[in-house]
Amino acid sequence: MMEFIGPALLHLIEPLNIFLMVVGLTGGIIVGALPGLTATMGVALMVPATFAMNPTSGLIMLGAIYVGAIYGGSNSACLICTPGTPSSVATTFDGWPMCQSGRADFALYTSLIASALGGFIGTFGLLFLAAPLARFALSFGGPENFWLCIFGLSTIAVMSTDNMVKGVLSGILGILISTIGLDPNAGVPRFIFGYYPLVQGIEVIPAMIGLFSFSQVLVLIGSNRTYIAEFKPTKGAFTQVFKEMMTKCKVVLLRSSIIGGIVGMLPGAGGEIASIIAYNESKRWSKHPEKYGTGIIQGVVSSESANNAVIGGALIPMLTLGIPGSAVAAVILGALLAKGIQPGFNVFSTTGDLAYTFIFSQFAVNLLMLPVGYLLAKIMAKLLSLRLTFVAIAIVMLSVIGSYAINNSMLDVWVVLIFGVVGYFASRVSLNTGAMALGIILGPMIEENLGKCVNLSSAMGGSVFDVFVASKISVLLIIMTVLSFISPFILSRVKKKDATCACETAQKEDHHA
Amino acid sequence: MKRITQMLLAFFLVLNISGVARAEYPDSPITMIIAFTAGGSSDVQARIMQKYWGKYCKQPLVFVYKPGAGGALGFTAIAMSKPDGYTIGGVNTPHIILQPLLQRAPFSIDKFDYICQVVNDPQVVAVRKDSKFKSVKEIFAYAKANPKKLRLGLVGPNSGHHLMYLELADKYDFPVTPVFYKGAADQNAALLGGEIDVMFGNLNDVMRSLSEMHVLGIASEKHDPTLPKVQTMHELGFNVVSYIRRGFVAPKGVDKNKLAYLRGIFQKIANDPAYIADMKKAGQPGEYLDGEAFNKWIHAEEQNDKAILKKAKLLK
Repeated sequence: MMEFIGPALLHLIEPLNIFLMVVGLTGGIIVGALPGLTATMGVALMVPATFAMNPTSGLIMLGAIYVGAIYGGSNSACLICTPGTPSSVATTFDGWPMCQSGRADFALYTSLIASALGGFIGTFGLLFLAAPLARFALSFGGPENFWLCIFGLSTIAVMSTDNMVKGVLSGILGILISTIGLDPNAGVPRFIFGYYPLVQGIEVIPAMIGLFSFSQVLVLIGSNRTYIAEFKPTKGAFTQVFKEMMTKCKVVLLRSSIIGGIVGMLPGAGGEIASIIAYNESKRWSKHPEKYGTGIIQGVVSSESANNAVIGGALIPMLTLGIPGSAVAAVILGALLAKGIQPGFNVFSTTGDLAYTFIFSQFAVNLLMLPVGYLLAKIMAKLLSLRLTFVAIAIVMLSVIGSYAINNSMLDVWVVLIFGVVGYFASRVSLNTGAMALGIILGPMIEENLGKCVNLSSAMGGSVFDVFVASKISVLLIIMTVLSFISPFILSRVKKKDATCACETAQKEDHHA
Repeated sequence: MKRITQMLLAFFLVLNISGVARAEYPDSPITMIIAFTAGGSSDVQARIMQKYWGKYCKQPLVFVYKPGAGGALGFTAIAMSKPDGYTIGGVNTPHIILQPLLQRAPFSIDKFDYICQVVNDPQVVAVRKDSKFKSVKEIFAYAKANPKKLRLGLVGPNSGHHLMYLELADKYDFPVTPVFYKGAADQNAALLGGEIDVMFGNLNDVMRSLSEMHVLGIASEKHDPTLPKVQTMHELGFNVVSYIRRGFVAPKGVDKNKLAYLRGIFQKIANDPAYIADMKKAGQPGEYLDGEAFNKWIHAEEQNDKAILKKAKLLK
């Protein structure tokens, strides 16, 4: 490794590469911030441009766009409660209340620093732990992935502590929606009612754009306001945020970044899942879970650091196994393959120059994000001074264009509109849209892996349960899932006990007094 | 008099304008529909073609991605687009043969005019580097002795790998447990992680992890130049060949001259030495077949596949 560091750093200070990093970051942040345009789209659009460059520069640019876009989504999530990319859904939970209470700059700077730090930790993992982590990822087969997805779903239980049943039902509804389309195991169409385009199923991204972005437009319009929110810029907000993060949010930051890195490594699971799970876990282990959702820094930190840590995680299996850990990683992989770069365990030796330059460029990009993001955040905050009508029109346009651009399919546009209406009525029927989104994303993975378990069971004598308990990892995940479901009850009992103790001591003091 | 002159002038103008519209084909960009995601194997190969397209045609080739349902959505889009010579697309076999038979896809192999074949990717039998199986015969012997215990990885269902397995299981005694994966990447990971013991994979996809695997046999007619030492299944005593082929098509009904023009351009690209070198670098196993030959092969293959599926009771 040592012999590659020198040349890698030298490559980084080449003017072209620095230019590409800054341009990629800026472009990525803007694409990410615009609701309806996603990170995958931004990277995919720029792939043809990389054919003219040498592989290293092309890779650096794509990486910069990826990082920028995943961070950029938080801008619109905080400012207009509309996640710019699906990875920023959980940022709206606390970022939007912060904006509504006039602290938009706090929200923006928190997500900026959290994203940069999360990205650092993710890239750290990529640099030092790529090979062992890749081998670990290999040990996740059908049964392990199945239980991991079920565990992911179980975090819903924490999401809606007041009414867990409704949360679980929302998740199940999401899974049901995900069954529309082609059966992953038999390859036969299901629930398409004779309308052939439905065979592609309900695509996750349009559904999320609808549930969160489009529904929010409807809410904003219905609120009859002229402006989205009041904005009282505070001097020195950046330094305040930095101090608060360094003192109160260290554990949240570390835990969320690790969750992001691990989820990123698993093929098919990306920022959307990571940020929601990280948010739920932070809420579960916090001393004041009731504060989550009211606009606390920890909420934004957990979501944003997780979704940026996903990047480093997703690149690990992409570089070492040729298995992309996320949709964007799949696009980048295609660009690499077209240049004749073969991923594999020797990507760090035979193409070590490229690999290490890329990893160091990720560190550099996360650093550069701070000044670039700071400037752009100040510009974006001006959005709040625009009239709501214009902002709403822009969001609707972008949602329609963005969802159509994914697959060139009008069905996706209809999905956005229908789910937008569903999302609008969601709060009135206490439908948990976050849980439903998790269900839509995890549903296909759960079914596919269950199918694999059933397939494998014929090699084991026919019982699926044998397959489940065959590996230590699955058993561990099963235990974690059960614990995850009962933890809300246990934790609330513990809190009640603490409360009664406090009450008793207070009464005793009363008596004494 | 003035009126008549005006009308005559207008009449001749209109004639001229429609004359201009009938300029040389092509006079506007040609759309290329790709039925898989950007960055995938099919896209990579088509992009290499696009690089050389500019040399032989003044109009650009515009890519449109319509992924989903294992390619079925994109193939449907190609079959249903206007046959005016301005929309073409990439297809894969046996996908376009099997999907209408097994998945009720709204297209069929007769709904296309074939331009050419560009890729011929044979299936291989691969095991992990440290596997106890050193030859295909050993695998079959073990399967016979321990029915259903051997786990075989395939991409599918309803794919080229699935067909190869069905053919082998029909002709020889091969009681294994097939496990299906969504894509080659998952299949590779499963073999390396130990979830499956042996896999039928594409040469192109196996090349990615070649250092960790042993290729024991190749289901092609001749030895492959990338793996010259690997014996064909025929040589090993198993009468089966299995390929995944890629080609380009236009919707049925395109004007004969336009089709000939398209076929001509693709033939020039396929014979360009720089294109051939690029394909090698990207690890794509290229093999050119002209439109008519491709058409004939696909129809013959459909009969073969129908027979295999009927025997496996997947088709009535």
